[in-house]
Amino acid sequence: MRAILLLSALGLVATSASAQLPGLRKRTGPPVAQQAVPLTGIDALRADFLAQAHGDTVFFGLNSTGLDVPTRTRLAAQALWLRRHPEVAVRIEGHGDAGDTRDHALAMGARRAEEVRDYLVLLGVPLAQLSTTSWGKERPGSPRAVTVLVR
Amino acid sequence: MISNPHCISLLLGAACLASAAQAQQPGTAAATVVAVPPLATPDDRPTSAGSTPSIAWQASQLIAQDLRTTSEVMPLPPAQRDYYSYPEVTAPSFVKWRSNGSKYLVMGFVQARSDKRLTFGCYIYDVDKGREVSRKGYVVDPGDWKRAAHKCSGLAYTAVTGAPGIFDTRITYVAESGVGSAKVERIAVMDSDGSNHKYLTKGDTMVMTPRLSPRAARIAYVGYESGKPQVHLLNVDSGNVRLLVPNDAISFAPRFSPDANKILFSMMLGPNSEIYVASAEGGPAQRLTYSPAIDTDASYSPDQKQIVFESDRSGSQQLYVMNADGSGQRRISFGGAAYASPEWSPDGQWIAFTRRDPGGRRIGIVKPDGTGERLLTGGPGDESPAWAASSRELIFQRSDAVGHSTLYRITLDDSQPRNVVLPQGGSDPDWSGVID
Repeated sequence: MRAILLLSALGLVATSASAQLPGLRKRTGPPVAQQAVPLTGIDALRADFLAQAHGDTVFFGLNSTGLDVPTRTRLAAQALWLRRHPEVAVRIEGHGDAGDTRDHALAMGARRAEEVRDYLVLLGVPLAQLSTTSWGKERPGSPRAVTVLVR
Repeated sequence: MISNPHCISLLLGAACLASAAQAQQPGTAAATVVAVPPLATPDDRPTSAGSTPSIAWQASQLIAQDLRTTSEVMPLPPAQRDYYSYPEVTAPSFVKWRSNGSKYLVMGFVQARSDKRLTFGCYIYDVDKGREVSRKGYVVDPGDWKRAAHKCSGLAYTAVTGAPGIFDTRITYVAESGVGSAKVERIAVMDSDGSNHKYLTKGDTMVMTPRLSPRAARIAYVGYESGKPQVHLLNVDSGNVRLLVPNDAISFAPRFSPDANKILFSMMLGPNSEIYVASAEGGPAQRLTYSPAIDTDASYSPDQKQIVFESDRSGSQQLYVMNADGSGQRRISFGGAAYASPEWSPDGQWIAFTRRDPGGRRIGIVKPDGTGERLLTGGPGDESPAWAASSRELIFQRSDAVGHSTLYRITLDDSQPRNVVLPQGGSDPDWSGVID
């Protein structure tokens, strides 16, 4: 009966590991110069992101799209990391409440994803680095969470 | 694509003999008993689908099987001892059928024509009154005898209930196999009796909420090809797929208008879900709602003058009715719970919904003015009701505690929900109108 928002950070650096995390897609587009990136490989980026941002997931209250203080703290850490890694594209994946009905859950997940995206933009992450989607209640993850995954 | 059977008028006369039939099955006290003795054939002729007596026998069984899928009709299945001759088709022995409790009688014949097609005659009798209720003839290719039999089942169902028959209709749903992140979801479509089951998408991306056009030619559904949920339009015969609205926005909750020309759907341009309408042939979408809340799950009244939808503008999901242009919005649900996923019945009398409260989700109906609310299922994991063409039955999704879903049918007569047999799990069912 709780809700999750999954924030997937989708990196451009490596491709081999993308199957290890659910909901990830390869980003298409021009290749990015990698000399500036001290981390080599998607796994290293993911691990660094998780360590620096203290997790990839933030949580919401039941039927809520509001960001509480612990959520804002974690998003601030995520924003800091994302500003340092402009080569990483992030997909923010919103989740609805498992007890909700199909379409309302889809809209709730999308709203949560947009709340997180807007807060990251507020903290200086370029909008072009962020995309959003919603899984509704179809891909349940950690209860009342937002997860940031590095790709 | 199957060609439509042509209706013909029937002019036949004779008398009919018959024997006693077995007792009614238990647990169907409310059901009307309908006798389905084996259809006659004037002469044994070969066709491309077998001999005429063979088709007649199979068609009789199919009619009984069709009627058994409703809880409202209790068919007495065909028995060989109940054979009647071709001339007896129009002169049944009412005394015999009255004696075993039959209220209605289905008779008919299968005849080979010189043009290699079949004439399929169908006669429905009121046994108590001792008179014919209706008759129809269908000229079909031999390979299409099942559709003629479904039409005959529909004629019997209409005689008993006064509502359109639902046997020549189709059901679409999301076929679910595997669990968790290995779950595979495909759009599936089948005839309402479960035959002709087909998968229409490959299962490589997530899909949800397929909705059939009234005559089952197209399916609008939500697909994730772009990584976002977006409404797609699928041609059932050709398999061609296109985006309903070619933009980057999240869109979902599609539903065809009763005339099949328009599609209502929800779209999020920004953080808010509003209701839009677009032509099924393409072109720009027109926005209908302007609330800072989640407005979704819109469904037209049969005359397309009104729309029922769901909004959480009051703080919880509730049902609202508005005019087709978005004006005159008014709340109709006041039952002290959340109400969601409404669909207007084809006869206009009811709106089906999913009711949410701390005990779970249940299916119910309410009149369009908000009165007469009735809960039909016990939950706790029921949702997504969709009307049958008869407006007397719904199909819905039931999920268990670990998230496995399957489909059930429920009639409005207080009977128990009945499981729909599927090759795998299923969710998000939708039911077409009568195809012809």
